[in-house]
Amino acid sequence: MVSAFEFVPAIAVLPLVSFVVALAFGKWMPKKGALAGIFATAGSLLLSIWTVLTVAGILGSETAYHEEIWQFATGIGTFDLHLGVFVDPLSSLMLLIVSLISLLVFVFSLGYMNDENETGLPRYYASLSLFSFSMLAFVFADNILMAFMFFELVGLCSFLLIGFWFREDAPPSAAKKAFLVTRFGDFFFLIGVVGIFATFGTGLFVTEAGFPAMAEQAISGEMPGTVADFLEPLGMGAQGWFTILGLLVLGGVVGKSAQFPLHTWLPDAMEGPTPVSALIHAATMVAAGVYLVARMYGFYLLTPTTMGIIALIGGFTALFAATMGVVKQELKQVLAYSTISQYGYMMLALGSGGYVAAVFHLTTHAVFKALLFLGAGSVIIAMHHNENMWDMGGLKEKMPVTYWTFLSGSLALAGIFPFAGFWSKDEVLYEALIHGLGDPVILVAWAMGLLAVFLTGFYTFRMVFLTFHGEPRTDDAEDPHGVRWNVKLPLGVLGVLAATLGFINMVPVAKLTGAHIDFLHKWLVGSEIVNAEFLTGLHVYEDLLPYESAYIAGGEVPTLLISAALSLGLALAGVGLAYRLYAVPEPVEHTKKLGGLRTLLMHNYYQDEYQVWLAEGVTLPLARVADTFDQGIIDGVVNGISSVSLFSGDRIRRIQTGVVSNYAALLTIGLALLLIAFGIVGGWF
Amino acid sequence: MLVELLIVFALMAAGLVLLAPDEYAGQFAAVLSLVPVGVSLWMYSVFDGTGNALLSGGQPAFETMASWITLGPYAINWHVGLDGVSMPLIVLTTILTTLAIVSAWTPIDERESQFYGLVLFMQAALIGVFSALDFLLWFVFWEAVLVPMYFLIGVWGGPRRKYAAIKFFVYTNVASLVMFVGFFTLVFGLGDSISTLGLPAIAQALNAGQLGSVAGFSPDVIKLAAFVALFFGFAVKVPVVPFHTWLPDAHVEAPTPVSVLLAGVLLKMGTYALLRFNFTMLADIARANATYIAIFAVVSVIYGALLALAQQDLKRIVAYSSISSMGYVILGLIAFTPHGVGGATFQMVSHGLISGLMFMAVGVIYNETHTRMIGDMSGMADRMPVTAGVFVAAAFGYMGLPLMSGFAAEVLVFMGAFESTTIPAAPLFTGIAMFGIVIVAGYLLRAMQKTLFGPFRLETDYDIGRAPLQDVAPLFVLLALVIALGVAPDLFYRMIQDAVFEVTALGLGGGA
Repeated sequence: MVSAFEFVPAIAVLPLVSFVVALAFGKWMPKKGALAGIFATAGSLLLSIWTVLTVAGILGSETAYHEEIWQFATGIGTFDLHLGVFVDPLSSLMLLIVSLISLLVFVFSLGYMNDENETGLPRYYASLSLFSFSMLAFVFADNILMAFMFFELVGLCSFLLIGFWFREDAPPSAAKKAFLVTRFGDFFFLIGVVGIFATFGTGLFVTEAGFPAMAEQAISGEMPGTVADFLEPLGMGAQGWFTILGLLVLGGVVGKSAQFPLHTWLPDAMEGPTPVSALIHAATMVAAGVYLVARMYGFYLLTPTTMGIIALIGGFTALFAATMGVVKQELKQVLAYSTISQYGYMMLALGSGGYVAAVFHLTTHAVFKALLFLGAGSVIIAMHHNENMWDMGGLKEKMPVTYWTFLSGSLALAGIFPFAGFWSKDEVLYEALIHGLGDPVILVAWAMGLLAVFLTGFYTFRMVFLTFHGEPRTDDAEDPHGVRWNVKLPLGVLGVLAATLGFINMVPVAKLTGAHIDFLHKWLVGSEIVNAEFLTGLHVYEDLLPYESAYIAGGEVPTLLISAALSLGLALAGVGLAYRLYAVPEPVEHTKKLGGLRTLLMHNYYQDEYQVWLAEGVTLPLARVADTFDQGIIDGVVNGISSVSLFSGDRIRRIQTGVVSNYAALLTIGLALLLIAFGIVGGWF
Repeated sequence: MLVELLIVFALMAAGLVLLAPDEYAGQFAAVLSLVPVGVSLWMYSVFDGTGNALLSGGQPAFETMASWITLGPYAINWHVGLDGVSMPLIVLTTILTTLAIVSAWTPIDERESQFYGLVLFMQAALIGVFSALDFLLWFVFWEAVLVPMYFLIGVWGGPRRKYAAIKFFVYTNVASLVMFVGFFTLVFGLGDSISTLGLPAIAQALNAGQLGSVAGFSPDVIKLAAFVALFFGFAVKVPVVPFHTWLPDAHVEAPTPVSVLLAGVLLKMGTYALLRFNFTMLADIARANATYIAIFAVVSVIYGALLALAQQDLKRIVAYSSISSMGYVILGLIAFTPHGVGGATFQMVSHGLISGLMFMAVGVIYNETHTRMIGDMSGMADRMPVTAGVFVAAAFGYMGLPLMSGFAAEVLVFMGAFESTTIPAAPLFTGIAMFGIVIVAGYLLRAMQKTLFGPFRLETDYDIGRAPLQDVAPLFVLLALVIALGVAPDLFYRMIQDAVFEVTALGLGGGA
């Protein structure tokens, strides 16, 4: 029987084909290339499902797969660079998520782009296909160089799509910013990649010869030869150097996953078409960063400092972004800040040792955030592309499908029982708590994450109430533009998933009842792949974890319950406050009462300003100074030398007077001078 | 005899085109230049050279040697051959020449037959530079390149063409002179240990430590002095900061096709010679001074990129960014690791293609708008969608987008440099140099945003439309090559590795 694993490369290649098709022939195709993308991603989805079933062991005994598929650059007397495929529970799950969301986004785009008579659709669908291709290939990458390559391509696609409406001023500017800010992060990432290759001679995530496994050996004292050779002239210990490498790679993660301080590109990225936002936020670009940390978790586990920093960045970003989400007036802006905040939770989970919790939240978030963006897209169509929530209101009756699915997504985002987000966010906070009790850094990160729960509940339902409840506040809201099946179908699928997906990992229920229903946990770390061929360092994840677990109130179950009650209570409090303030027929902007704080929040803590200042106030003037220096001093010297030779040539020419007596005089003087010179050198005097 | 065929054919083609009427000269030259393309591709496909042509054990492909002149104790031979370093550069030269000729059809509208004749003449000289294995022969070709370039800039260039052409000619000629003196010091120092001016003989004698003293100076001093002289001579050509100021002027004044060849092939003469002379013949000196050379490299990368950031003229941006990109080559060479030197060589080819692509893209826009200033236009993507698309692709290629050749070249250089034990504090140097990838994104994204995107606006009074096929077709060919080499660097990288591997072991105290 053929194995699904042989077709894994096709999961990425199908969208690549649709990229070429849409770009070259989209103009002449019905739906301008959308169908190519739909067929390609549907194919990817089917293959992904097949792959997941295979990994689950349902279709045979082979449950993981690693194969080098392309020799990229061959070195002599040094390492080779290659592209390869690695399928394990983590990557197969992610393949499934990415291909599902991609397919739904393509279908939704029929409604958002084709039905709205946009131009440039072949370009749109080609970019979208390229986006799916890059992300899928990134997901199954077996080494960090390949991961970096597709990570960068994801960045390119975001540039193309954010700047899709290039005839206006704002989108190209936002696209530039997105690429540049993430490039800044990728600069560190690339140093990390290069450093990993230089240190270990390989970038493989897997096998005993992979870098996480080698790093583990190095730290446990059995230093592999290549590592020792590299570290010796450097004069650094393994632990310290691996921490540096881990932090460098983290630079790329912070950029792509929009973590503080490189989050500034993401709100601007809302200039792109809304389906693109759904794809970027839910399943592709922003997810890539967090996925990368999960992919090389075996490496990060070895350096507690890095773990602590990841947790702190995550907790801080979760809170920081949530505060800004509170005051925003545009639907997509609220969602943008919620994305930053939610990825903060995933980072918090990863940093505090909650690998499963992080992947769980990544999964549920992919679904509910895609849902919320597509729902927002539906509202935006209805509102004739007005995104200001203060111009909406009362859309509940007019667009029930959008309302109910959006509500499902919002409940998930706010973390209300029993929607998907509740289970995953709860697990994130629980992991942070039990590991934080013994580690003050993690505890601080946890506290910030917990506080953000309240704000999340508040801003989410402020958005829901302003958009859908109350009375219509404008004519557009009075008479919204209808949407068709191609919008409602993706919303329906995601709406159901957002309500139910949490059931794949109900840890509290599992712990309380003793029933083994924490499926995701078993999926990700339960299978105990100890085969050296598929080693990622994760099989010993619980042993490697640098934290001790501690409990309050006398044990695991009470801690679990207190944690869940705390986060649910705070979320409900947030929702309740939003209800009181905004679920009224004529809401007013209560955030105005925040005064100076509101100004600060509206300006995003002046984060953009200082980054723009760094680019335009520091780098650009520096470049101008360099230019002046170059033209004036360096080129000045060159021109000066040439003028000196021209000038002296001109002067020396005047010696040639043509008068014989002058020549005779010169000869005599010259001879005399020579004689004196020889005399001095020769010691005649 | 295939190398000779290439050179002789290019010379004959130059002569024929010179005699052709102006109306057909462009087409005629393009057709004739396809022959070297075909021949060089065929040579690539049957390439069977092994090792480095200059070192013992190396066996260049297509090697021929014939006695030419005897000069005192030295036999000067017609000696040519290709190894894994020169073969890709020959392919680059022939392909870029054809594409440059096609891209000249639109902008060059006077004295066409002379223009194309000079281009073909230059091609012959360039092939000679990359294939000659005898010093004097090599030097003749090296100097012969300057002459057509001088006229190409000086006759068909922009308003300040005279200044730019003379600056180019004098600067590089002074550099050649210094280099020539430096090299002959070495030759005299070697004395009786060599009987020819063949580059392999000299390289092997130097690496075997047979250099004697000259005029009372010890071999170490001679070597250092020769190294400095050679380094200066080639650094001007590359160009390395601070010897770079001729380049922006030359590029800005040169017509587009000439810029393509200047950036694409002529600059590689400098790095090629650095590899052959400084880093192969005098590897021990290079190693001993690795810190200084690495500083030159890093300064070129960062300073060149900063200068590019300050420019308003699209062509100047690309010109300065070439300086930055060539800095990576120097960094890779001084690393003395297989990926460092290999990546540097690959970067020569890759940058040749990508900078050619970039200059052509700017040229196509210029043909329509007659301006290259960022402030003069915006929203060009609206009127020239295909050109803008290729421009975007080219710019991302320049930024080192994966699956395009620039990424492979840069990442190999970085890896090689990072693990280098020759450069002190190699990770630090490499890390600083890598910041170039952020600045390059900064200036190219800014340039694209201002010229291609936003509402359409054009200050110059031209009625612009889609670019003609002949302007755009070369762009697609180059783009395809850039992507092919980006997906499969091994197309060239295998032979490059084979040729440079032994170089990385030189100068460690042992012999060659």
